[in-house]
Amino acid sequence: MTPRGRHHSDAVVITGLGVASPLGVTFDEVADNLLAGRSGVRSVEPAAFAREGRQFAAPVQTIPAPPAGSCDVSAAEFATLDRLEQLCLGPLAHALADAGLSGGGPRIGLVLGLGAEQLKTWEFDFLGGGREVFEPRPADTLVHGLARRLSVAGPAVTVAAACASSGYAMALGRTWLQTGWVDACLVGGGDILSPTAIAAFYNLRALSRRSDDPAKASRPFDAARDGFVMGEGGAFFVLEKAASAERRGRRVYGELAGIGMSSDAVHMVTPSSDPKEAARAVSMALADAGVEPGQIDYVNAHAAGTLVGDVAEAGALRLAFGAGVDRVPVSSTKSMSGHLVSGAAAFEAIACLAAIERQSAPPTVNLDNPDPACMLDHVPHVARPHAIETTASNSFGFGGANLCLVIRRAA
Amino acid sequence: MNTTPSNAGASATCAVVSRAVVEARLSAIGGLREKPSPAGAPPLPHRFLRHCDEQTVLGMRAVLEAIAGHPEPRPAFDRFGVVAAPCQSGRIAAAQTLSQLKTGGAAVVSPHIVPQGSLHAMASTVSVALGMHGPNIGTSGGPQALSEGLFTALSLVHAPTAAGAERCAGIWLIATAWDEEPRLDATGKPETDPLCRAVAIAITRATDAGAATTLTLEPVATTTGVGCGVPDAAGAIAAFGRALELCAEGGVLESWSHVCPWGAEIRMAVQAVGTRSLRREAA
Repeated sequence: MTPRGRHHSDAVVITGLGVASPLGVTFDEVADNLLAGRSGVRSVEPAAFAREGRQFAAPVQTIPAPPAGSCDVSAAEFATLDRLEQLCLGPLAHALADAGLSGGGPRIGLVLGLGAEQLKTWEFDFLGGGREVFEPRPADTLVHGLARRLSVAGPAVTVAAACASSGYAMALGRTWLQTGWVDACLVGGGDILSPTAIAAFYNLRALSRRSDDPAKASRPFDAARDGFVMGEGGAFFVLEKAASAERRGRRVYGELAGIGMSSDAVHMVTPSSDPKEAARAVSMALADAGVEPGQIDYVNAHAAGTLVGDVAEAGALRLAFGAGVDRVPVSSTKSMSGHLVSGAAAFEAIACLAAIERQSAPPTVNLDNPDPACMLDHVPHVARPHAIETTASNSFGFGGANLCLVIRRAA
Repeated sequence: MNTTPSNAGASATCAVVSRAVVEARLSAIGGLREKPSPAGAPPLPHRFLRHCDEQTVLGMRAVLEAIAGHPEPRPAFDRFGVVAAPCQSGRIAAAQTLSQLKTGGAAVVSPHIVPQGSLHAMASTVSVALGMHGPNIGTSGGPQALSEGLFTALSLVHAPTAAGAERCAGIWLIATAWDEEPRLDATGKPETDPLCRAVAIAITRATDAGAATTLTLEPVATTTGVGCGVPDAAGAIAAFGRALELCAEGGVLESWSHVCPWGAEIRMAVQAVGTRSLRREAA
């Protein structure tokens, strides 16, 4: 991709990217692994929290420290931060540096998609012998500390929509740019593995129990799927107007062209069996981007590998795309990355950017036998070379949260 | 990137079309959990709030009070979204869960801790309970809850949309906090009985309704710090609630404004005399 403008100067484009994920810590590394169909799922410690057999997940192996000069945290100090802050600060600082904005600025905003900051903070404090959950100290939330460390002095908020949190952060940051409240905005989200989260999702029967073969456990849309695989990671972007990117001569990864948001309003955990509201989010995003269903070249599905969720999403795509659904390649990269929870939507936006740059749809690995209730134009096992200009990425969350992002090549 | 007064961005004005201010001691929230709906409010499904955090119960009550007190005809809220801004919600359940994890292991961890104890839970509960199909989003979770909630809600209502694309009909904003955080024993059982405060307002674009009260976000050219505002959730919610009550009772609102250190001010204004009183849930 080369530095160049979008169709119109008000378009919101991505000019910086930072990631720490089970599939890599740079855009190229993530793109390479996604398109090669490599899995980041493996056995993890502590096995003491496993209910049956081995514990498995998709962990981040190493978290890159902020580039020198990008923020006020040295590599030595970075190593002392808690893991959640590392998984956010490292990619955020890399995104800022990638966009040529190291050092921050007064009109740079920050929207952090993070669904369970306090739960994770209390849990790790407790496991370390602390008592904060019983006697909390007044403390600001992570987003404001991150803003201070990065010297970004625009508005800073945390947003949560469960597994769609980082996508909602992208939506809010785009709005701030459109209203002129910021000149640039850091957006995205992150999450970390924790014993309580793994136990709670397991007890909810949402996690795969295929502990004998972790790399085969995440199998969205497959008839033999039995739940998702927990992952962790952080993925962040710098958004700015196309005119600003062009003026600054920055590399443009793509345009965040459309957003659709809705709620099922049916159940706190289970997605609605009626696909109407999820399909409405998809249709809203397409309308916001000014594209017809037939102009979407690739769909990155939310599909986590749960029995109910994958069927519900297939129904929503059929409703939103109509007869054309059979001509749109659809894949779930959670088959390789696991489910990054709060960070999932932003990570999957990277998968869309990779599909656009490499002109190839990433696969759904482990899709040996597609569930007849989930019939779509799947991309099983291996990437599919394909002309890709415009993509859609779905993210759904507990509480009936539905989100669709349309991301396209910056012309 | 430069900063000049001319590029401070557009102002945003919203109409407050419904509102309520409620408070309750921790010991009284159990009763609201069992019987959440006041007279005139929609009934909730039986035991709908049984796994909810205490702040969610009171936030839900605030929305129900606002709906019950809204003069007929009520707006259709089914296309509204929900923004909920609690402060340290989910802590009591988290303490009990962690205590159980220590003694009983992973098998006894409640499956409700994530869907009911995370930041999105209050917004989702209101969305599900009342059939609201706009976006449901949790925000903040900390001492700047009201500031972040107001800014997020105003952002969503004013989000530009492409021609022909669907616009957000309105947003319910709920902010909650304890006057003092409950002290918990080693099993997570509360040892104190603090007061919880909640405000709920329904807002639309000002052009969509001729409401008495408006909230305006006005960008300014100067910045004074990082973040959204005053780091005192309970104090900010109490002050905001008093201003809402004055508006509703037709009193003269001397001023309520909130300075966002990043370069904006949110102001409340009364366009006409209000028509009703807010009711308060006594401790």
